[in-house]
Amino acid sequence: MNQAVWAVCFALFAVGLSLLILRRELLVMLLGLELMVNAANIGVVYGASLTGDAAGLSAALLIIAVAAAEAVIGLSLILRVYQSGRSPESDVLRELRG
Amino acid sequence: MVHAAIILAGVVAVVFAGLMATQRSLYACSVCLLAVLLQTAAIFYFLGAPLVAFLQVMIYAGAVMVLVVVTIMAAPAENPQALRKPSMPWFLAVLGILAPLGEAAWALSRGGLPQAAGWGASAAQMQVGTVLFGPYAVATEAVGFLIFLSALAVVDLNRSQL
Amino acid sequence: MTAVLPLSAILIFAAPISAVLISFFLVRPFKPRWTHWPILISCAVVAVSAVRIAMRVYTTGPLDVTLAQWMVAGSWSLSFGLRLDGLSSAVLAMVAVVGALIHVYAAGYMEEDECMPRFFLFFHLFYLAMIGLLTSNNYVQLYLFWEMVGMASYYLIGFWYHKATARRAAMQAFLVNRVGDFGFMLAALLLLSAFPGSGARFTAVFPAVAKAPPALVCAIGYLLFWAATAKSAQFPLYFWLPDAMEGPTPVSALMHAATMVTAGIFLMARSWPLIAGVPHLPHLIAWVGAATALGAGIVAATKTDLKRILAYSTVSHLGIMALGVGLGEIGAGIFHLITHGFFKAVLFLCAGNIAHGLGKPTATVDEAGGLIKKMPLTFVCFTVAAFSLAGIWPFAGFYSKDAVLDAAHAFGPGMGLVASAIGFMSAFYIFRMLFLVFLGPRPRQEGGEHGGHHIHEAGLWMGIPVLLISIGAVCVGWFGGQLQSLLSMGWMAAAAPTVPHMKVLEAWPSLALAFAGAAASYWWTTIKPNWDWDWREKSPALAAVFASDFGWKPAMAWVAQAVVALSNWLGLSLDKGSWDRLIEASAEGAVEAGGAGAALATGSVNDYVWWMAAGVAVLLLAVLFL
Repeated sequence: MNQAVWAVCFALFAVGLSLLILRRELLVMLLGLELMVNAANIGVVYGASLTGDAAGLSAALLIIAVAAAEAVIGLSLILRVYQSGRSPESDVLRELRG
Repeated sequence: MVHAAIILAGVVAVVFAGLMATQRSLYACSVCLLAVLLQTAAIFYFLGAPLVAFLQVMIYAGAVMVLVVVTIMAAPAENPQALRKPSMPWFLAVLGILAPLGEAAWALSRGGLPQAAGWGASAAQMQVGTVLFGPYAVATEAVGFLIFLSALAVVDLNRSQL
Repeated sequence: MTAVLPLSAILIFAAPISAVLISFFLVRPFKPRWTHWPILISCAVVAVSAVRIAMRVYTTGPLDVTLAQWMVAGSWSLSFGLRLDGLSSAVLAMVAVVGALIHVYAAGYMEEDECMPRFFLFFHLFYLAMIGLLTSNNYVQLYLFWEMVGMASYYLIGFWYHKATARRAAMQAFLVNRVGDFGFMLAALLLLSAFPGSGARFTAVFPAVAKAPPALVCAIGYLLFWAATAKSAQFPLYFWLPDAMEGPTPVSALMHAATMVTAGIFLMARSWPLIAGVPHLPHLIAWVGAATALGAGIVAATKTDLKRILAYSTVSHLGIMALGVGLGEIGAGIFHLITHGFFKAVLFLCAGNIAHGLGKPTATVDEAGGLIKKMPLTFVCFTVAAFSLAGIWPFAGFYSKDAVLDAAHAFGPGMGLVASAIGFMSAFYIFRMLFLVFLGPRPRQEGGEHGGHHIHEAGLWMGIPVLLISIGAVCVGWFGGQLQSLLSMGWMAAAAPTVPHMKVLEAWPSLALAFAGAAASYWWTTIKPNWDWDWREKSPALAAVFASDFGWKPAMAWVAQAVVALSNWLGLSLDKGSWDRLIEASAEGAVEAGGAGAALATGSVNDYVWWMAAGVAVLLLAVLFL
């Protein structure tokens, strides 16, 4: 049971990371990001449940809020990329190349 | 019972996450993510943190995913592909993903994790408000401010549209 | 310090130094043709002081005083000091007197040369260096003056620097001496380390030789002999001396006959307490000296240039001196050094008279012939010196040279045979020169008429010094007993050196050999007047053998080429080819590394995230496992 929860946490985190690394579409990368945050959240909540610590749960709530805010801004940025005439894929963001 | 529920929710979450990784269509991806989020909420609930579970569903599944779908509609990728070819050899890419996690898992396994699921989260639930506006008041204010700023940012980013 | 040092000891340094400074700074800028006057005055002062020092050492004993410290580091120090003992004062007296007279000669010889001021300054600098060499009281100071003498030699051989042959000869002399000096430097360093705290002073080194590590003492002995080989023109490093005749005749007379080349012999005599204990080294010195003497004597009999004959003769006599030292007869060796200084100087100055009379830098046998009537003074002095060289009683050479050759006979039959051959050959070549130059003129000779130029006797400036030195060439040999007592003053080995007293009646074998040599040369120069030219034409191969010094000159040329090839290989293929390429490769490597680094910045977000994950992995690795 213990290992199961941690395994879930890590597996979700791995999938999120792989989305971030292995997919081109910016939006899918964002979804991966969200997945990672959620995986972390599972870990936090589980840890809080083990120790009965209210601070852990508060942290989980704050994490949800921050992740939501960051998702919103990410989506706006994706829209901007699209509106600048380019397809919202990571290949088009090449300014840091070289 | 509760154990089984948690494990089941976890397995479903992982399955949908895997599915998500292999979908070409962006809509399908977002729906799979939605499923994962709901399973996560279930896990929270069964761990004894219903408040967090509800808030998860509300904020994530309700607000964030909606926004995601809207964005997909507004900015579709031209040629979505399942997976991109990474700039490093495949095994390195996989290794780069799995290695940190493997090590963390190893650390955790050695770190003397307390056995058995604790159910003390229920009692802790009641304290959340006290904690949020007590010791973590600054954090709470900061996050609220952050949300406000993100709203401003969204507006600013899309000023040309207004 | 003046209370410790006698006035004459101060003057032998103060006079030349002040003369050079005055000449250079005060006289030369204003009246260049008077540059030699302060120098000649200094020569007189030095000659008188040197004789006084010898008399003082003879009566009251040696003087060894350390004047100042150059460098001090804890117990290690180098100092400057004077050692006036029997050995140094005897040689110093000869050098000072002969040198002073040659300075006077040079005033006449170089009178018409436009570079006379520069000549006298360098010449006197050499004189000073030689004095310093002889009176040093430690090896490092000796080495300093040794190098200074070599430097003066380079300047003076290449004095007429617009002649390519002179430049080459000067460079050759310097480089060959450098090979020997390297040995001296190593020896000095070994001395400083084997005898710690001594500063390589003679008084500190020689008493402690028995206690020092024998391997080091051995090495020091051989290295000092190596240095002497170069400076005193022994085989294998003698070949610079014949070519050094490119310098003006006073240079050849003073440096390459009487003084500078004897520095090596002096070094060996000085180091005798050390060398005597090294196994096999004295015998090696003796055999090398004997071989050099014989080989050079044979080649001298085949040369036609007057100064070259005398140069090879000098090599031969240096061999005789080395033979004497190697056999343990230091007294005889030094006696020969002194007498040789006189008669060889006379011979060179006479050759200089002949050349100057012809208006050329040097003369050959072809241009001379029958000069007995035209240059009577030169003839008389030359004859006196020739008798002295051949070792005929009662001239000076008899007492010294035959003493050495006698000791060689006593050593063993092989050495005795070589010594007999040396005695015969030296008489042969010098009388050949005498007869060829002064008797005749033969059909192939010009008889002193070169291109319409009639040869004439030398002037007063050049004639009187020759006369005075030739008096020495006659008389010096009679003072063997006094020399023996002088040498015993301050001698640092166990047994004081002896100068064997040669008696006419007992020495009849060597006298017979000398007369036989003279007779043989008379036969082949006067009874058969064309023989000296005919044998060259009849057997050119034989002539080539002698001209190449029995093949040694081409061998040395090959060695020089090999060294140049080695340095080319080191410079071009090793340094430029490998090392430079390595350096450039490192630069190219840096560029490649930069390119590789730049390739990492793909600009793709996905890759950057991967790098983040990989970084976390590495960090965790470090934290968990290290």
